[in-house]
Amino acid sequence: MVLLRTVMIVLAVLVTGTALAGEQAADDLVLANGGVRLQKPKGKACIRPTEWMRRNHMDLLIHKQAMTVREGARMRSESLLQCQSCHPNREAFCDRCHDYAGVEPNCFECHNYPE
Amino acid sequence: MTMDRRTVLGMGGAVAAGVLLAPGVQLIAAPPSNETSAAGSQRWAMLVDVNKCTPGCTACLDACRKENNVPLFGDPARDVHWIRKVEVQDKEHRRAPFTLPVLCNHCENPPCVHVCPTLASFIRKDGIVLIDEHRCIGCRYCMIACPYKARSLVYFSTRFPKDGNPRVPIRAKGVVEKCTFCVHRVDDGQLPACVETCQGSGQGAMIFGDINDPQSEIAQRVKTLRTETIRADLGLKPHVHYQGL
Ligand code: SF4
Ligand code: SF4
Repeated sequence: MVLLRTVMIVLAVLVTGTALAGEQAADDLVLANGGVRLQKPKGKACIRPTEWMRRNHMDLLIHKQAMTVREGARMRSESLLQCQSCHPNREAFCDRCHDYAGVEPNCFECHNYPE
Repeated sequence: MTMDRRTVLGMGGAVAAGVLLAPGVQLIAAPPSNETSAAGSQRWAMLVDVNKCTPGCTACLDACRKENNVPLFGDPARDVHWIRKVEVQDKEHRRAPFTLPVLCNHCENPPCVHVCPTLASFIRKDGIVLIDEHRCIGCRYCMIACPYKARSLVYFSTRFPKDGNPRVPIRAKGVVEKCTFCVHRVDDGQLPACVETCQGSGQGAMIFGDINDPQSEIAQRVKTLRTETIRADLGLKPHVHYQGL
């Protein structure tokens, strides 16, 4: 009985260890805000500080949207199309966090997110 | 409106600067100043030489659909058109039937803008009439107001086309859309897709430019040649001019 329990524990530890090692091997995942796993960004720095972006990217996008559409203020380097240069996969970055936070922005009903 | 937004931007910058000064936060480079802006001194306009517009040629229509991801649903009553070709025949048959492209005239007094309840339709500083699709509620007042049938409602959901142009978003179901004078290209110093294609295909029926700039070809041609606009009597001051109508 004791032997069986030991075997179970060893097995469990092994399985967990393997799983953890596996996830560490896929090192494109980072933990953000404790809960959600996002794809690791490619570039060195975001266009604004990461912490600020995490809370305020939607306001920045809406501000840019109004400026672009209404005033013709186009800044290619800060366009939505440029996000993919650091976050190449929308599902693994934008969508994953939006799902976690339970928000459904409709940007991508119309806007293309080049892969 | 403009000042308010700029003030808000300034405040945003101040907040960002505050964040930067906080310990442990890395400094970021100042945003590059590669920003474009619509200039109030400009007035974009188009001139179509009807004599050069060949019946049967659809180069401008095809270029527009491709550039702006304009969908075709296969239902003539529901299809979206940013630019159409119209065949004209005078009643007395003094002249052979001819064709001309008809698109949004980017009127100086646009009734579509005046009726829009959400301020989605607006006229940009440089005279380009646009729809802010983010605000449009699809009420279609503007479609009734426009005497040129320039606007279409998007009746169905569409997907981004495989070979679509990533620079132009598609439009959601239930908003109104129309010709933008290829505003994304104009802001980049390019010609609208229809004009470029018309010139490239050898017809050369269309030119585009800043009619406020006396040196521009369009300003000189509108000044020296006999040009007309469609239904000038309505007083909307259209900015698609026609030569040889
Ligand atoms: S042609 Fe029609 S849609 Fe275009 S600006 Fe004039 S009224 Fe508005
Ligand atoms: S359909 Fe959209 S753009 Fe046209 S009047 Fe209504 S809200 Fe304005």
